[in-house]
Amino acid sequence: MKHTSKFIISLFLMLLPIFGLTQEKKKDSIPPKTERYGIRFGVDLMKLSRSFYDKNYQGLELVGDYRLTKNHYLAVELGNENKTTEDNYLNFNTKGTYFKAGFDFNSYENWLDMQNIIYVGMRYGISSFSQTLNSYEVYNTSHYFNENTTYISGNKFDGLSAQWIEVVGGMKAEVIHNIYVGFSVRFNKLTVNNRPDNFDNLYIPGFNRTYNGSFGVGFNYTVSYYLPLYKKTLKPIQKTENVKKDKK
Amino acid sequence: MKRISSLFLILLSFSSCEKDDICDATTATTPGIVIEFYNTATTPVVKNVTNLKVVGEGIANYYLFNNVSKIKLPLKTSADVTKFSFIINSTDSATQNEDLIEFNYTRKNVFISRACGYKTLYYLNATNPLLLTDSVVNDGNWIQNFTIETSNIETENETHIKIYY
Repeated sequence: MKHTSKFIISLFLMLLPIFGLTQEKKKDSIPPKTERYGIRFGVDLMKLSRSFYDKNYQGLELVGDYRLTKNHYLAVELGNENKTTEDNYLNFNTKGTYFKAGFDFNSYENWLDMQNIIYVGMRYGISSFSQTLNSYEVYNTSHYFNENTTYISGNKFDGLSAQWIEVVGGMKAEVIHNIYVGFSVRFNKLTVNNRPDNFDNLYIPGFNRTYNGSFGVGFNYTVSYYLPLYKKTLKPIQKTENVKKDKK
Repeated sequence: MKRISSLFLILLSFSSCEKDDICDATTATTPGIVIEFYNTATTPVVKNVTNLKVVGEGIANYYLFNNVSKIKLPLKTSADVTKFSFIINSTDSATQNEDLIEFNYTRKNVFISRACGYKTLYYLNATNPLLLTDSVVNDGNWIQNFTIETSNIETENETHIKIYY
């Protein structure tokens, strides 16, 4: 907690000069700033590249966001995964589709006509999938009979589903005109988990690996194209800024 | 800024993930069969065994129990029958006596967790759950009687079989 507040204070101090700069700029009578509004859509490069180097994985995630207000974005992710997990005691395959929708809140003040964002947001995710248990081990503390403990199963569990909430943090930056790269970190908490009989949802498409509790983590690295739809002129905000300054 | 930092705090609260890669020793895995020994009085009391040697059929290794009244034996996870030879007073050739017990059951493999995989549970058959016979050396049975306390062998926290001698 001590470190967190330290971090926040130092971050604030670091940002102070930026606030100062923007304020000075606004006092100049330059032409009014405009901001572009539009749709950004792209693909998760992590999942895409992993499909090439990991023989046990195939996945694709499409991402999109739509700018609603100055700092609010509507965000969605749509994906499909097919993953074989090789654990010490279990070997299983998970196959399914997921959809996540929510919002991103931008906390980054852009200088010019840019839509770079550093954001936090939330998503609600749903996934529909099936699992196949390829093989499993019977855990026996006694090795007296020296038996083979590996069982080939092939049991298929169809019609499974899960729902969860994600808290997202990340950024998106324009690298070439209208092309953005971004990454995000996600912390997930399951709300609905439709478990199979005599097995468990150890991997959920979109949610990733599940742990003993209902929490999980996620990460993505995206490249997206920005399709501008319209421009909005910024209202002068000089007055409110001054009021804020007086309060300080 | 305040709003952002509060959201960061929410993020931090999510990071308390628990470790689940190692099968914890306290986890109930494949159970053994728990046998308790009693005397043959009208109101039986627990009776310690003396140098009881228990050998699984076709296995060179054996268990040796001395001065205990409760023992635990593994059952086969790949067959519905497990045979043991019970040799009492095994260190004394004058008094030693060998009896054979055959456990007949059905098995069920039940999921535990990612770290532990599956466990085998056993359900003793309704007919002939235990078959008590004398060994090739015809020295009579040292085991007088047995009772089945529970035919569902799912945990090791209870006595499954009581043997009277």
